[in-house]
Amino acid sequence: MRLEQIPVIGPLLEAGADDSVFDALLILGPIVISIITFLGRTLPSVLLAVAYTGGFLSYIAYKGVAETTESST
Amino acid sequence: MANRLGTIARDLGRMLEALAGLILVSVLIPLVWQEWWVVPGMILSGLLPLLVGFGLSRAFQNADDPGRLHGMMIAASGWFFVAVFGSLPFLLIAWTARLDPSVLEIPARFTTGGTRTFSTLAAFQNPLNGFFESMSGFTGTGLTMTDNEAALPHTLQWWRSFIEWVGGVGVIVLTTAILARPGSGSLTLYESEARSEKIHPSIVSTVRTIWWIFLLFTFFSILLLWLAGMPMWDAINHAMTGLATGGFSITDNSIGTYNSVAIDFALIPIMILGSIAFPIHYLILRGDLRNLYRDLQTRWVFIFFGLGTLILTALLFDQRFYQTETMTVAGIVLHGRAATLFQTFRFAIFQFISAASCTGFQTAGSLGPGWSAPAQLTVAFGMIVGAAAGSTVGGIKLIRLLTLGKGILFRIRGVFYPSTAVRTFRLDDRTLSDDEAAQEFEEAAIITFLWILFLGVAAFVFMIALPMGPEGYTLENVLFEVASAQGNVGLSSGITGPGMPAVTKAMFLFNMWIGRLEIIPVLVLLRSLFVSMGVYD
Repeated sequence: MRLEQIPVIGPLLEAGADDSVFDALLILGPIVISIITFLGRTLPSVLLAVAYTGGFLSYIAYKGVAETTESST
Repeated sequence: MANRLGTIARDLGRMLEALAGLILVSVLIPLVWQEWWVVPGMILSGLLPLLVGFGLSRAFQNADDPGRLHGMMIAASGWFFVAVFGSLPFLLIAWTARLDPSVLEIPARFTTGGTRTFSTLAAFQNPLNGFFESMSGFTGTGLTMTDNEAALPHTLQWWRSFIEWVGGVGVIVLTTAILARPGSGSLTLYESEARSEKIHPSIVSTVRTIWWIFLLFTFFSILLLWLAGMPMWDAINHAMTGLATGGFSITDNSIGTYNSVAIDFALIPIMILGSIAFPIHYLILRGDLRNLYRDLQTRWVFIFFGLGTLILTALLFDQRFYQTETMTVAGIVLHGRAATLFQTFRFAIFQFISAASCTGFQTAGSLGPGWSAPAQLTVAFGMIVGAAAGSTVGGIKLIRLLTLGKGILFRIRGVFYPSTAVRTFRLDDRTLSDDEAAQEFEEAAIITFLWILFLGVAAFVFMIALPMGPEGYTLENVLFEVASAQGNVGLSSGITGPGMPAVTKAMFLFNMWIGRLEIIPVLVLLRSLFVSMGVYD
């Protein structure tokens, strides 16, 4: 079964930005939130939240730099 | 006529089916929080719109696709009835507590009179209060009939946040995404819900992309707020209402409850995300960051927010409203004027962005009667203007003011050219002919005029219905509150509450409704109703 065939999530992923990292972040979002809710405010949960938010922002910045470099060449 | 009603009834039925789905999904919340006593009320609240919606959509399933007129009538009536049926959870849960059947074992705090917890929930026994809360939520306004949000059952806290989250993107956008009806009917409805932006040629793909972006940003916002120090339940609710620029809170004093610099500054980018149009978000997520300054509206969102913050900071600093001896920010200790300046800036940037993004979160010590009239009017101006069209914000929208401003300059400059000169009007990288430019000016001018007209009408009603003068409210209080309701903002100068006269609640219901749909669809619906009743020819 392909990811796009999953009910509810499938059509949403198909409508996204054609980017597997963002799609992964979308799927991982509720899982990360559930884990953090379960763990409470501990060092591993803080690191997990930092990894998610940091990863999201860093990836946007990376795509921006890559796009600018590509369009200038 | 019958066919026209069939088209409207069919699409209205579909919207009610979608609403029923939202209510029934929300039954998970009382299960998680073990609020068993609200489950019957929630299930009944979901079944009623499901039955009505199913009946309408099946009875008229072969009706024609909506035209422009039908689209506007469906959008206006759809939002009205979604708010009516969306009030059922408030009403039924409040009456469950009132009737207090012993089998449900309702916690005593909801059934024992004389406490704030009891009176907060009991306010929703009045159907008008529930309708007000529901309309305020779906339109993303955030004005509330609750006395103490923290005292509500978790299920109603969630329902308030959830309807703001859905309403921020749009009920029709949700229905289109779920039902995925192909053809021109979906586009017509989509445009009737104060949206025109298209990310893809297909409208169904466009609305699904909008939800993809919105979900991704919601997860990011929840984790950002949690990292800033909010408990997870608070972070989930405030991320949803902040991103949707709705402004409902689950605490008694909105964001001021936390009195945290980190939380204030974490919410600012979330409110800004809600103020930027979805197609720009899509381009940014694809790596085209230049749209942050190349796109006319987005550029002006930052300019407008920046200028408003500077002016408000200057006004409040001059007033010495946030006089602070010493404070510590990120380990740095500030004293005297530096501490006062930082504290003033902190409240000014939060409050102006909250107003101009039409979110309506409030922070401690601000916006009370202590703020000077110029400071209150600066915030009111932000609420009236709003931010980018195609985002989740309310207000007149920056693009309309830019169109009007550039249009006025274009007309004035035209006097200096010979009458035979061929001139073109440029707006946001588009070159418009005379006819196209005239159409843009006309649309912007009509909406702006109607917006100010209904602002005046509502202010007039409030000044008659409320005590005015030294013992009551001031004109700026009234203008502030009306601008807040019609701009779907939710900041309050203290007028809105369960005790306000019924006529003012009804007026605000109308203001919130027209504000969300940008007035015209509601006027079209009312005209059609009056014509069909023979009141108006």
